[in-house]
Formats: sequence, C-alpha cells, structure tokens
Amino acid sequence: MAGRRKQRKQEKVVFYDYGLLFIILFLVGFGLIMIYSTSYYSATIHKNGDSMYYLKRQGLLAMVGIVAMLLISKMDYRWVLKPIPRTKIPWVVFIYLVAVVLQTYVLFFGIELNGAKRWIGLGPLGTFQPSDLSKAAVILMIAFMVNQKPRALDSLKGFITIAIPVGILLMLIAIENMSTAIVVGLILMFMCYIASRKLWYFLLMGAAGGGLGALYILLGEGFRMERIQIWLNVETHEKGGQILQGLYAIASGGAFGKGLGQSMQKLGYVPEAQNDMIFSIICEELGMFGAFAIMLVFILLFWHILQIAMNAPDLFGGMLCSGVLVHVASQVLLNIAVVTNSIPSTGVALPFISYGGTSVMILLAEMGIVLSVSNRIR
Amino acid sequence: MEFSYNAMIPKKAVFLVADYKRKQNVAIVNYVRVYHKRRLLIMICAFLLILILLMGRLTYLMVFQADHFGVLAQEIQERERSIKAERGRIFDRNGVELASNKPVCTISVIYNQVKEPDKVIEILVRELELDREYVEKRVRKKSSREKIKSNVEKEIADKIRTYDLDGVMVDEDYKRFYPYSSLASKVIGFTGSDNQGIIGLEVAYDKKLQGQNGVIYTLTTAKGIEIKNVAERRQEPVPGNDLYTSLDVNIQEYAWQAAKKVREEKNAKNVKVIVLNPQNGEIYAMVNEPEFDANNPYTLIEQENTDKLTDKEKNDLLNTMWRNACISDTYEPGSTFKIITATAALEEGKVSLKDSFYCPGFKLVEDRTIRCHKTIGHGAESFKEGIMNSCNPVFMEIGERTGVNGMYKWFKNLGLTEKTGIDVPGEANSIMHKKENVGAVELATMSFGQSFQITPLQLIRAVSAVVNGGNLITPHFGVKIENRDKTKIKNLEYKVKKDALSKETSETMKMLLEAVVAEGGGNKAYIEGYSIGGKTATSEKLPRSSNKYISSFIGFAPADNPKILAILLIDEPEGIYYGGTIAAPVVRGIFENILPYVGIEQQYISKENEKPQ
Repeated sequence: MAGRRKQRKQEKVVFYDYGLLFIILFLVGFGLIMIYSTSYYSATIHKNGDSMYYLKRQGLLAMVGIVAMLLISKMDYRWVLKPIPRTKIPWVVFIYLVAVVLQTYVLFFGIELNGAKRWIGLGPLGTFQPSDLSKAAVILMIAFMVNQKPRALDSLKGFITIAIPVGILLMLIAIENMSTAIVVGLILMFMCYIASRKLWYFLLMGAAGGGLGALYILLGEGFRMERIQIWLNVETHEKGGQILQGLYAIASGGAFGKGLGQSMQKLGYVPEAQNDMIFSIICEELGMFGAFAIMLVFILLFWHILQIAMNAPDLFGGMLCSGVLVHVASQVLLNIAVVTNSIPSTGVALPFISYGGTSVMILLAEMGIVLSVSNRIR
Repeated sequence: MEFSYNAMIPKKAVFLVADYKRKQNVAIVNYVRVYHKRRLLIMICAFLLILILLMGRLTYLMVFQADHFGVLAQEIQERERSIKAERGRIFDRNGVELASNKPVCTISVIYNQVKEPDKVIEILVRELELDREYVEKRVRKKSSREKIKSNVEKEIADKIRTYDLDGVMVDEDYKRFYPYSSLASKVIGFTGSDNQGIIGLEVAYDKKLQGQNGVIYTLTTAKGIEIKNVAERRQEPVPGNDLYTSLDVNIQEYAWQAAKKVREEKNAKNVKVIVLNPQNGEIYAMVNEPEFDANNPYTLIEQENTDKLTDKEKNDLLNTMWRNACISDTYEPGSTFKIITATAALEEGKVSLKDSFYCPGFKLVEDRTIRCHKTIGHGAESFKEGIMNSCNPVFMEIGERTGVNGMYKWFKNLGLTEKTGIDVPGEANSIMHKKENVGAVELATMSFGQSFQITPLQLIRAVSAVVNGGNLITPHFGVKIENRDKTKIKNLEYKVKKDALSKETSETMKMLLEAVVAEGGGNKAYIEGYSIGGKTATSEKLPRSSNKYISSFIGFAPADNPKILAILLIDEPEGIYYGGTIAAPVVRGIFENILPYVGIEQQYISKENEKPQ
C-alpha cells in the first residue's frame, strides 16, 4: 500500500504548457514592439512629443495581465463553479451578471469615441471596454452550463436554455459593437457545436445567426450597409480611405518588407495604425514572410490550446479551452480578413498585438485559464 | 486522481474528471468527449483553411498587387519638387551672350509647417518689401503651399534662408536675363513667367532652349511634412540647348546707334535696319528702333500716362512695341524695287545696256499721266543712266516691255510672292495685285515700286539673289544648336534656291548698282576706297495726300562680290525726306564702321586712281 502510494506520487508529475506560455509571451512582446513602431509618430504629434505614450500604457497593462495570467494559471479553474459564500450563486454566474450590468451601463453612461459608446471611464486609470470582459464571461457561462448538463445540447430545449442568457448579452453588445457581437456569436456557435452531438443544431444556429446578422445590417444603422459598399469598391469609394491605406501598406511591403520601423503608411496615412490596422503595418515593415511568420505563431498557439482542450481533465476545462480557442482564432481571422479587405470592415483587434489594454488583459486572463487547465492534466 | 499522466496526446481517450461524482455519467462524458475531439478538429481545420486562404490573399496583395497599390502608395507618400532646368542661352556669332539666366529664388510658405506666423510675416514683409496685408493673407491661408514672391534676388533669398524659419521654402529658379537689354530686343524676344518664349527667337527656338526640369521626390507624412534623413529620389534637370545665332553684337550695335541717331534727327516714327550676308542669308543685324528693354518687356517705352490706359489699350501698345516691323510690316518699296524690275527686264531680254531712253518728265499710260520725280525730265539717257537717275519713265518703259507675265514670273523667282522663311515668328507676306487684274497703269506703277506692298526682308532677300550671283537664300539667325556640354552640335541648314537668275544678269546689276552709288542718286553712300552698290527710295505712304514718306536705301559692299547687304528704312522723317539724302548717308556711316570690322579692305590706291576727277 505504502509502496503503491509512493509510486503514485512519482507518477504525479504536474504538467504545465510552457510552450504555450512562451508563445503568449512572444506575441505580447512582439505586439509591444509593433505598437511602438506604429504609434511613435502619432504619439509624438498628439501626445506632446511622448513617443512612448502608447507603448508605456500597453506595456504596463501587459505586465499586469501577465502577472494575472500566471496567478490564474496556478489556481484551479474550477473555483468559478463554487457558489459565492452564503449564497447559492456560482462565481461564474456572478461574473456573467457583472458583464451584463456593465454592458448595460456602458449603453447609457459610456464614453463615446468615433461615434460608438463602448468605453467606461475609469478616471486616471483610463478606460475600460466591457465588451472584452463579456467575451470571457460568455465563454465561462457556456462552459458552465454545458458542464452542468452535458447532454442538454442534444435537444432544442437544452440549446434554448443556453442561447437565451447568452443572447441577452449578445444583444446588449450588438447595439454598439457589431464586431464584438460577431465574435461572441461565433463563440456561442462553435461552443455549442463542440458540445452537441447533433449537427443540425449547429446548422440551425448558423442560419439563425446569419439571418439575424443580415437583418441587423439591413435594418440597423446605415453605416453598416455602407461598409459593404466600401468593401466592394474600396478604391473608388470616398470612405474607403482607411482600408485602402491599409492595402497600400500591405502592397508596399513586398516579400521581406521595408524593415522594422521603416513603414511610411504609419506616418498618418493609416489612421490609428496601432489599433485594428496594425497587421497592415506588420506586412509593410516585415513583408510577406514576416506576416506569414506571425500567422504561423498564431497557428502554433491554436494548436497548443487545441491540445489542452482535447486533453482537459474535465468537460468544463475542455469547454473553456475550446471557447478561448474560438475567441482568439475568430479575432485573428476576422482581423486579417478585414485588413486585407477580404470581408467588409469591422473593428476587430488582432489578439495580443493590437493596442488596447482591456483586450490584452482579458486575453491574458483567458490564457491563464487555459494554462490552469493544462496544469491539471496528469 | 484515478488516471495517470499521459503526455500531451493520450493514447486512450481517458479524461475522467476526478471529482466527477455522478458515476452514471462517466460513460456519457466519455462519449461526449470523443465527439468533442472530432468537432474540435473539424473546427480547427476550418480555421486553418481560412488562414491559408488569407495567406493566399496576402500573397496576392503583396506580390501581384504590389505594382498597383505599391505604386499608388508611393504616389501619395511622395511630394514632387521640381528643379528648374536652366534655359539654353543665346549667343551671337562670336560667342557673346545675348540671352542668359541669372539664379533667382521663389519664396513660398507651407501653412502647417509655419510655427511662428507673426515672425514669418514680419521678416517677409521687411526683406521682400511687400505689403503687410498681402503677406499676412498668404501666410495665414490654409493651403498646402502658398507662393509669396518669385524672381527674388539670390542675395535676398539667402538672407531669408539664414533666418531658418519653419515653413518658409526658398526654391532656386532661373530668370531670363539679357545682358544687352534693348539690343535686338525684337529679334531675340523675351520669356514669360514660366520661362517660355513670348516673341522672337525665344519663341522660334523655344523647344530647343527649354531644358528638362528635374524632380526631387521627397517622402512626406500624411500631413505633408517632409521626412528628413531619408534617401530621396532625384532626377537631375537637363539644361536647355544653346542657340548660336548669326547676329553680331558689334554690327548690331553700330546699326542701332546709327538708326537711333537718324531717328532723333529726323524725328522719325521708326527706323529699321537689316544687315546680312547676301551669300548665305546670315543676318548680322536687325534693328527696329525704338527697341524695348527685354529685361522689362512689359514697360511701355516712350509712353506717358500709362496709368490711364485700359488693359486692352495697354495690351495693344505692348504688342505694337514688341512687333518686329522688319519682317511683320509691309510697305511700298518705291525706287529700291527698280532693282527687281531691271533684273526681270534683263533676264527676259527686254532691255540691254545699249538701249537708250528719253524722259520728258512723265509717261502717258493709257489715259493717265504718270510723272517722274524730276518733273522737268531727265532727257535722253541710257539704261544705266536711267537707273542712276532712278528715272520712272525708263522703268515704266522696261516694265511694259517685260509685261505682266514676265514681271510676275520674276516676282515669283525672286521670292516676293512667298514668305522668306526666316526663323522668327510673325512674318508677313507681300500684298500684290492679282495677276489678272493688272492693267497697264498697275504695271507701270509696279515697275517703280508702287501699288503693292512687301516686307523689307522680302526685298533684301530678292536683292541678295540679284547680287550674289543668282541664289535665292533664306535669311536667318539660327546657325547652330549645342547642348550644354557641347557633346551634341546641330548645324542648322536653310533652303537655298540655286540659280534663281543668271550670273550675267547678276554681274550687270552689280555694276549698275555700283554706278548708282559712285555717280548716281546713291552717291551719299559712297565711301572712299570701297566699291559699294545700292539704290535709294522715297516711298510716299498711303494715303498719298498725307505727305508721309518712307525713305530707304539698300546697299552692298564690295560691289563686285558682296559680303554685306544692308537695308535701312526711315519711317515718316520730318523735313527732307529723300532716301538718297537722308537714308544713304546713314548706311554709309554703318558701312564705314562695319566694313573694316568684317575684314573688307579699303582699296586706297587703285580706287583713288580710278575714280574720275
């Protein structure tokens, strides 16, 4: 008995996906370099000559995010399933409710930038974008519900019980933020697809989502229709500027690029080059090979998350990792597709690389969860 | 903790959750898990497929669209700044610069680069001596680039440069400069603000003189701020070709001075002089006194109260001032045209030196009496004396003999019915009767140079053919065109119509015209030691009652082998207006100066001895 116990202790080697950690750190580091490269010009002009303005902010939040990620990765991700002390509500539901509240709050009291109310002011700390939190909350919520009733998604009733709470948040997001709504919709769709044994739910959902999306574009604000016009006539449409300038940047990169820091298009031609359009500047500075290299790093990231998802010690962990995978992958694909004008433009950040404190912190927290799941693999 | 560590990819699908308490669900979870794996793989494959498509899209954009979008990108990123090419220079036959360029600068401001507008305005107002309001308006105007002043002297521009003002651009440029300002101004012409030729040789050779502007491509930010320390693409300017002309500054200067003097003395409207080489048509001098200042071509000369003029009036006056009357204005040549009539008659064999005539002071033509200028008549005279006396009845007689067809044939042969083809713009053609409308009266008046109009240049061209042995040359200025480093030289060639008339007639005419100067009506052009041929004329301007005249003289030297042919016209002289009295001495004065200069020796001894009395 004692011998067996000893043997068991020896076998109990704890796994931790250092490869994934390395990839994440690489992407964050690379993102900081590119943010500095793309933003120093506009920072010098708009931020009183402080060329490091954006780098410093993003760097600070990335550091906080990395610390948070490491802490979360050492925690047992299943604590979110536990009820809040003296109540019966699990933490995950609480997080979800917070996201709903913030998402509602931002609709009324949010800060409006570029015609969209998406940010909550935090005074000197800057701004907070609740839609980033919402993505994580949706992943947690779906994983939680699937975990509670693993077979629920085999029936329409079970699907509806998941779709309704997620749908509420999705609607709240969609009012001001089409791109996040698309990402959340994709998360919902793919997580249900993974958890269900019936394919027709997936098809139904895809059709419903597509139909709702089309209605949203047709009945919603005029600029969404206009974006389709821009997409089709990027060179002639008067508002094609940003995308067209991005294409200029991409096309002037050539095979090996102009060299780091040598982009011309970031000098005011591509507006806010450090944000959603950052990939076009990566193409210009590092060329086709640089861009492919970054895409390969993302593929490697997906692969690691996939492995952890498939080997997760429980259904909850597996669903969490699947959700994170869908989240990161859909943003990468959407971002590159928008920048290359493959689809109508929508503002999706390139994960880990685009400027945006909330986005990078939430992503790192999600990675912390994935690492935590990997840490439970025996 | 029921299961063991299974590396990254477990061999068996065992993923049991340790604290999963409901044993009955274990099977279901396992079942679901297998599904998860398959679906996860399908999903990741879909993602990878999309990523590969996006890579394809990227390749398409970066490789196959690089020429399209890449070039468009370069276009928006670069600002082109042109470097002005220096315009080709114009030289006289001895390599003296008639038109060159001096470096000047253009001062402009770039609105969004100006940091201290007040200081900029103050300095520009002070240094450029401009109106404060004007400068202020331009500096504060929101435009990408606003020109403040062009043609700023280089010293002033350099001074502005030393202030090192942000947003103030000093661009080098060239301004056309004429070292002799008024000399041959109507021939050389001048250029406009873009260095393009406006009149004269500057227009005729504009394409050759204009260089190719260079370009500096500077990279700029979206706001148009130039990026420093970046290698700029550059296309060097190519200066224009230089033009070498047949003009001779000294001959031009002599002729001009003489013209100025006689114009002043006679208070004439204008004086025109053409001096050329009758052998090849090279024009040494072409004077249209009064000349204008080519460095200030828009300043009216001899005009008071220019402020009161309307724009149109001023424009008309400017055009008149710039007009090269030697080639653009026609006139009735008068007696100088008798050279042509005599040539035609000799060629047609209608007159010989042996023929004798009688002048009663008039000739009856049909029902008209046409008078000789000597109303009492010249009496009996030979053909030679007829020319020397410039006797109208003699020429009416030989004109009649030659007939309309004979006369018109020789007008044509001597180039009087066509433009000369001179290499400056604005040439006029002759105004002649239609051949079928010419009656006896018209023929009679034409034979002594009335009732039709030609340009002085047409006359001098015809006379060139008469005295050079019969070749109808094309009078011209341009001799050769050279690029700046003299690696490409193009000699200009002109049409010559050989043997327009016979050598014999030419010899006869030279002899006759020499006699006119030596003993006849052109004797005031005689210079001791030189053989000079010529013919005078006094043309009454239309309408005849106005009593306005053009006195002229056409002369050449040496008479036996002319190297210099000159025509001088005094338009509306006051007082004595006879060509032989006032025009011939002026040509004589010009010849006195230029004959030794062009290397025609004075033949003292032989001439002194030969000359009777």
